[in-house]
This record gives sequence, C-alpha cells and structure tokens, in this order.
Amino acid sequence: MDRSEKLIFPDPGDSPQKARTGLEVLIIGVGFLILMPLISIHRVTDFMIFCIFALSFDLLYGYMGRLSFGHLLYLGTGAYVYGFLIKFFQTDAFLAILCGVLAAGLLGMLLGPIMVRATGACFSLMALAFNHIGFFLVLSPLKHITNGEDGFGAHAKSLGFLDFNSKTVMFVLSLLALLLVFYILKRLTTSPYGILVRSIKEDENRVRFLGYNTYYYKWVTFVIASAIAGLAGTLTALNYKFVNPNVMDVHQNVGVVFACLIGGAGNLYGAIIGGVAYMMISNYLAIYIHRWEMFLGLSMLIIVFKFRKGIWGYIETLGGHFRRPKEIRPAAQKGA
Amino acid sequence: MLYTIFYGFSIGAILYFVSIGLSLTFGTMRVVNFAHTLTYSIGVYVLITSISWMGGNFIPAAMIAILAVIPLSYLVERFIIRRLYGESLDYTFIATFAVTLIGVDTIKIIWGVNPLPFSPPMSTYIDFWGMTFPLYRIIIFGIAIALFLGLEIFFRKTIVGKIVVAALDDKDGTRCLGISVDKYFSVMFMLGSALAALGGVLYAPISAVQPYMGLSILLLAFAVVIVGGMGNLRGTFISAFALGMVMALTARYWSQGAETMVFIVMAVVLCFRPLDA
Repeated sequence: MDRSEKLIFPDPGDSPQKARTGLEVLIIGVGFLILMPLISIHRVTDFMIFCIFALSFDLLYGYMGRLSFGHLLYLGTGAYVYGFLIKFFQTDAFLAILCGVLAAGLLGMLLGPIMVRATGACFSLMALAFNHIGFFLVLSPLKHITNGEDGFGAHAKSLGFLDFNSKTVMFVLSLLALLLVFYILKRLTTSPYGILVRSIKEDENRVRFLGYNTYYYKWVTFVIASAIAGLAGTLTALNYKFVNPNVMDVHQNVGVVFACLIGGAGNLYGAIIGGVAYMMISNYLAIYIHRWEMFLGLSMLIIVFKFRKGIWGYIETLGGHFRRPKEIRPAAQKGA
Repeated sequence: MLYTIFYGFSIGAILYFVSIGLSLTFGTMRVVNFAHTLTYSIGVYVLITSISWMGGNFIPAAMIAILAVIPLSYLVERFIIRRLYGESLDYTFIATFAVTLIGVDTIKIIWGVNPLPFSPPMSTYIDFWGMTFPLYRIIIFGIAIALFLGLEIFFRKTIVGKIVVAALDDKDGTRCLGISVDKYFSVMFMLGSALAALGGVLYAPISAVQPYMGLSILLLAFAVVIVGGMGNLRGTFISAFALGMVMALTARYWSQGAETMVFIVMAVVLCFRPLDA
C-alpha cells in the first residue's frame, strides 16, 4: 500500500490509529465526566443515552446518506422488548438489554430489505410510515400488554452491587455504553467497510460498478443502526424504569435529525456534540421559551441555508488551520 | 356494505385533494413538500375564523380560507423552496419540515392548542334506493370528480397546463424552449397548496380540528403519491380512491387499523415496484 492510498484508507489495525481512537474515547469520557457536576447527574445520563441514539442515526444519515424520519421505531422496539422481559419474566437487566438490542436489530433485518432499496425522500417517508405502524401497534392492538398510552413500569432487580435505582450506577452504565458504541462505530467507519458505506452516499452507481453488492452493505448498515438505536431504547427504559408510547412517537423524530444537523452530519463527534446541544436546548430553552418548537424550526432553516457543516464542521476547519502544517511534514519525509 | 364503499369514495376524494398538490410539486420540482401540512391546517383554521365573520355562511368562508393560503404558499415557495432547487432531497425535506414546525407553533399561538369544535355545514340526508346518504359527503365526492376532470382539461388544453406537463417530462428541454419554468412551478405550487386547503376545508367538518391535524393526513397523502407514482397525475387519482377504499373497508371491520392498513398497502406496493425517487 503506498502512501497516498494509506491516507484514503487508514488501516484500522494500524497502531497509531488504534491509539488515536483510544484517546478519543478517553476525551469523550472525560468530557461527560466534566459535564456531570456542571449539570445534574440525571440529566447527563439522559444526554448520553440520546447521544447513543444520535450516533446510530448518524451512521444512517451522515455516513450512508439515508435520512430516516422514523428511527425512533427501533428505539421504541428496544425499550418495549426490554420492558416486557422485565415486567413479565423478571429477567435480569443485562439479559433484557441484550434481547432489546437483538429485537431492534431483528426488526431492522426484517424491514431492511424493503427500506434500503429506496433512496432520498422515499426512504424517509417509508421510515415514517413504519414508525407510524409501530406507534399504532403499541397504542391500540397490543394494548393488553403495553397498557396503551399510559405505559407500564419496568423495575429491574438490582444485580449484585449494581443497584439500578442509583443514579451513579446509571450514569456509569450509560457512559460505558456510549463509549463502547463510539468505539465500535469509530472502528467501523474507518474500516474499508465504512469507506464503502460513505462511497455509497457519494455515488451508489459507481460503487456498484466497482463490483460491490451495495444492497448487502446498506442492509448491514441499517441493521447495525437499528440495533444501536435499540440499545439507546433499552437504556432509556432502564433509566426511567418506565415505558410508554412516547418512546416511539412519530413527532419526536425531528429531535435526532436536528441534533445530527447541528452537530455536523457524517461525523461521530458531530453526532455527540449535536446530541448534547439538542438536549441542552430542549431541556433548558423549554423553560424560558414556551414555544420552543418554533425556535427549533427556525434554527433548522438557518442550518439548512447557512450552517450545513454543523458545529463540528466549523471546529474542524478551525482546527485544520493549526494542524495541517504538522501533518504534511512527516508524510513528506516518508515519501522522500 | 354499500355505505362503506360510499365512505371510501369520500375519503378517497379528500386524499385526492391533498395528494395532488404533493404529486405536482414532487413531479415538477423534485421537492418533497412537507409544508403541505401547514397549508392544509392553516386553511382549516382560517375557515374557522372566517365562518364567524360570515355569520355561519360556509361557502364564502371556504373561499376566504382557500385564497388566504395562496400568498402564504407563495412566500414558502419563494423564500424556502426556490433556494433549494437541485439540492439534495434531504435538505428540502428538512427545510419544509422546519416550516411546518414554525407554522404549527404559529397556529398554537393564534388559535390555541386545544381541539376546536366544528360541525358539518349541512346535515341533510338524502334518500336513495331506500338508503340515506349524508349529502355533504356526496358533494365532496362530486367536487373531487369535477376537480379531476377540470385538471385533466387544464393539463391538456391550456397553455399553462401543457407547459407544466412538458416540464414534468423534461425540465431542461422545456427551459431550452425559452420558457421560464420556475414561474410555472411557482403557479403549480400555489395551486397545489390551494387544493390542500380545499381538502382541509372539506374534511375539517367531518374530522377533528387541532394543530397537528395536517401531519396524519399528510402521511396518508404521501402514501397515495408513492403508490400512484410521483408526478403521475392520473395515478394519483386512482391510488387516492383505491387507498380511500382500503381505509373505509378496514374501518368497517377494525376501526383503529384504518390508517395503518394504508401504510401496509404502501409497503407491499413498494416491494414490487422499482423506486426512483
């Protein structure tokens, strides 16, 4: 592999690359630990769970270029499956989380073949339609087990020293989950597979022309994104000890789209920054501005017209001014 | 059973009003116009206000409601959608959704959050072969048929209609003939919005009036447009009535499942149809 190729396809097994990913995970962990005393611990747990969801959405939208307006379906599936297992079978929390993730992944696997054939608006609308079906199923035909609009409580038994009622335990658990998801996605998106997924976003026909079966790549990405959304759902249910149809309310989807856009789509840090920014706005602005949906709409318009790169995009361009000379120097030496 | 079919026709008519505008904007401008919900609900709310000015007189109030939507849709087209021509579909989707969010909040500020009561302008029933049908639904159906025929004539006989059909087929080719396509698109957009308002005005008396009312009907209209083929005017007509019938038949046996059935039909159709949007 010559140098120019290496720049485009960074080898994931490369030890500097590995070390860098480790450092990034550390930075994010420390970042949330700093955020924790500034805001209340309960809120930061919420923020992190939302960030997991934003990451999974970003994999679909930012990396694969499929704007899903119904991603909450998978979050809701995770939450409900977790809730059912806790409520009806009194399983321990980790098994329920695992089942929730698997169920969301399975749903993604079932709907994937229909969904990923579509692009652009068709994809968004189908996602919206499926979300609507899911919301409806939970609300009325399955009412005898989901308890309809009122939802049901799901108290997980404490597991050894892990007491799920404790805020600290939830915080640590969510932080670990977030870091794990970030690490997995980071490895995934820098791998050849991730580059292929990004190429599908740029021009699917060309990727197909190169001999790849883009269908399977899209499907796998869709399943991964659904499973991670399911994880976010199980954590939401674990955190609130309560599941109600709000977790897959069609109208709430706009939040994660906004988070992804404001943070900068197509970047994992963008998703995390956007997730925190959105949660800040929805938690604090709602106190001061009664009609905060209008604010959300206005800022979405501004982002679409003037601010497409998002917060992380600007940080990156700023950072690029300082970093670029350093990066070129060793590369030039090697090449010589 | 005959009642069910009849209800299917009136639901289909409403779906047709709302989805024809979507189909037009998608076919001509390649824009998925989420702001359609906004024109739909604004039309209804203006109707509620104007009907009290008019002293309960439905028809002039409905006229005011439909006309009020036109300048609004012009603003949306001019300042939001025209700037996004040729951009990725996602951005227009998000931008028009943002417009909807702003609009829904505006409605909440002006008219309040709570659902408003609204009763049909006429409760006459007519007897027909020993059965009674509400006259209002018959009128809705009649208007839909008239509108379909009117649009057919409009697109075949008038010069504006012909230009739009040509642009649906080949936008660049039409532009090469020296026709300012954008101007006609703008007209189409306003026409589509006015039709959405018409749908809202006619449907409001037989449904609930609340700020989010546009969203659920918009989802159904999207399903209609996807099933009928985006930009295919006659396909939209057929699929609107077919899906309206699906809704009515489902509602007969399982009332809560009506809307969901439409999406299931849509998913099935999508499985067997190539997707190009």
